[in-house]
Amino acid sequence: MAIQIILLCGLVIFSALAILLKDLIKAALSLAVASLLLGIIFFRLAAPYAAVFEISVVAGLITVLFILTIALTKKGDEVTEARLVKLAFPVFLILFLVIDGLVMKSLLQKIPALPSGPEAGTFGEVLWKQRTFDLVAQVGVILAGVLAVLALFRKKEEDKDE
Amino acid sequence: MVFSFIVIPLLVAAFLPLVGKFSKKLLPDVLTNAALAFLVFNSILLVKPIFNQGVIVQNLNWLGERVNLQVALDGFNLFMLFTISLVSLCISLFSIDYLEHYGHKSTFYALFLVMIAGMNGLVLVPDLFSVYLFLEVAAVASYALVAFGLGYDELEASFKYLMLSVVASAFALLSITVIFGMTGSLNFQAVAQGLQDLQARLVLGVCVAFFIMGFGLKAALVPFHAWLPDAHPSAPAPISAMLSGLLIKVSGIYALFRIIYSVIGLTPVLSQLLMALGTISMVVAALLALGQKDIKRMLAYSSISQVGYIVLGLALGTPLGIAGALFHLFNHAVAKGLLFLNSGSIQHITGTRNLEELGGLGKMVPVTAGTNLVGALSIAGVPPLAGFWSKLIIIMALIQAREFGYALVAILASILTLWYYLLIQRKAFFGRVAEKWSQVREAPFWMSAANVVLALVCILVGIFFTPIFKTWISPAAEALARGIQQVLMWGL
Repeated sequence: MAIQIILLCGLVIFSALAILLKDLIKAALSLAVASLLLGIIFFRLAAPYAAVFEISVVAGLITVLFILTIALTKKGDEVTEARLVKLAFPVFLILFLVIDGLVMKSLLQKIPALPSGPEAGTFGEVLWKQRTFDLVAQVGVILAGVLAVLALFRKKEEDKDE
Repeated sequence: MVFSFIVIPLLVAAFLPLVGKFSKKLLPDVLTNAALAFLVFNSILLVKPIFNQGVIVQNLNWLGERVNLQVALDGFNLFMLFTISLVSLCISLFSIDYLEHYGHKSTFYALFLVMIAGMNGLVLVPDLFSVYLFLEVAAVASYALVAFGLGYDELEASFKYLMLSVVASAFALLSITVIFGMTGSLNFQAVAQGLQDLQARLVLGVCVAFFIMGFGLKAALVPFHAWLPDAHPSAPAPISAMLSGLLIKVSGIYALFRIIYSVIGLTPVLSQLLMALGTISMVVAALLALGQKDIKRMLAYSSISQVGYIVLGLALGTPLGIAGALFHLFNHAVAKGLLFLNSGSIQHITGTRNLEELGGLGKMVPVTAGTNLVGALSIAGVPPLAGFWSKLIIIMALIQAREFGYALVAILASILTLWYYLLIQRKAFFGRVAEKWSQVREAPFWMSAANVVLALVCILVGIFFTPIFKTWISPAAEALARGIQQVLMWGL
């Protein structure tokens, strides 16, 4: 239980740091640590597949992509934020933690334990045989993402051509 | 046949960037419009089987083996699919000429089709997590489409829309997670059964609150509406029409009420809460619309107000209320699509959307002025146009349920609606022609043609109200009232 609490606190702290830190590299690394901790929590909650994906893709691959992109960009585009905007996230976070502490514990006790549902099975079975429709939707999400990049970065290409 | 609503737009979208390399305009135009025309035709073909059988359940086979791809089509989702296909087809016809100055038609159409595939998928799936996934498909495409112009306003609006939409999705996902935790299932029918057995009312109450916040944000109900008046006017006109006409209804209202009717159940408290939210949206947004100078901003506020009517009817929960709300959903999708396209025509013709600068355009551009008048009067509820009947049915349903207060507010809000639409008409089209607009010409052929088709739909649906109501709206309302996917008695 103590380890679980430490892991959860670490997850919240590093997630908050990822938003609050001004240095982009440090922010990306904080996000990586946060997802590593989340991966460990997944393992401990007996969800090894989710843990493997979380650690390999989110903590590993995406962090590498972030750091590569940050390394390729130049300094000089800093945006100054208004004081009110700077305060918004910390205030929201504290407020959320207080509400969470007061409400969720009693609420969670009221949620009955998860019965073993019909969706149980090995990873392959669940993905290919039970959640097949989701794969179609994921193809749609990836396609939308690729097309969004094509659409939103098109002007730069035109500038280069000129 | 039913799968084609998801597969065809996705397939065409995947090929369009390649096609765009060979043909920048003609082939993307033809392919997109042909695909959407096929979907309209397909949904019309499905009316008869649905009318006879009530429900169609289809499984997909892949290389002779049954894959777990199953869709259930009933009157309600066929009605939604037809609405999406028809309005999208008109919008894509409009885009043929409108997109000339944006360029990159193939990418635009591809994103447009992915958004349609997302909406169609959302309408067809009987599973909570799949609802979330298809919601995201439509949302990701729409973020890019709002920012398609790449100007400062577009990017800012898209970012604001993205941030609030992510919050909305997070609330919906959180609620889905808790429900999965409680019932161990995601299928509508299994979850409904599981929740009945559990009697966990407090937790379910929290889930419903999260759903209302999540889908309320997507539907832009007051007080979750802040993003819409920025996002919708900033997008290119066809996308504004798509977002206001269809997306807020499918990803907000459809998703919320499908889950409430099929999974959670409409309790009296929930009904009162949603009716109050609907009424507040109806009135507050109508008052806010009155003060706007930008046509598209006024139309965006009007969308929030009209969504209020739909929510009011659906939350009432009586068969007449549901039928009226669904009919209004269709009428608003058509008329608001038309009005946003018209605002695109006005901007194309004059270069501005500011009502203070416009004036007297009616003599110069009679088609745009005429179609605008039809759309405005239909939404405002003037007989014999389509919008009159749907508002009348909602008000009759309220009176029948002895909700006289709500009925009175609905009538008063309708007068406000007429007021601000007549303001647009008077400021933009009536009066003396200003010097600088004396040389303007009517919008290009496809833009005017799309507007005329939508205006004709408003008029014809109003005139042939009785048969249309019997064939389309009643089966849809019955399917929803039955708690639908009991339908999904597909031997799980």
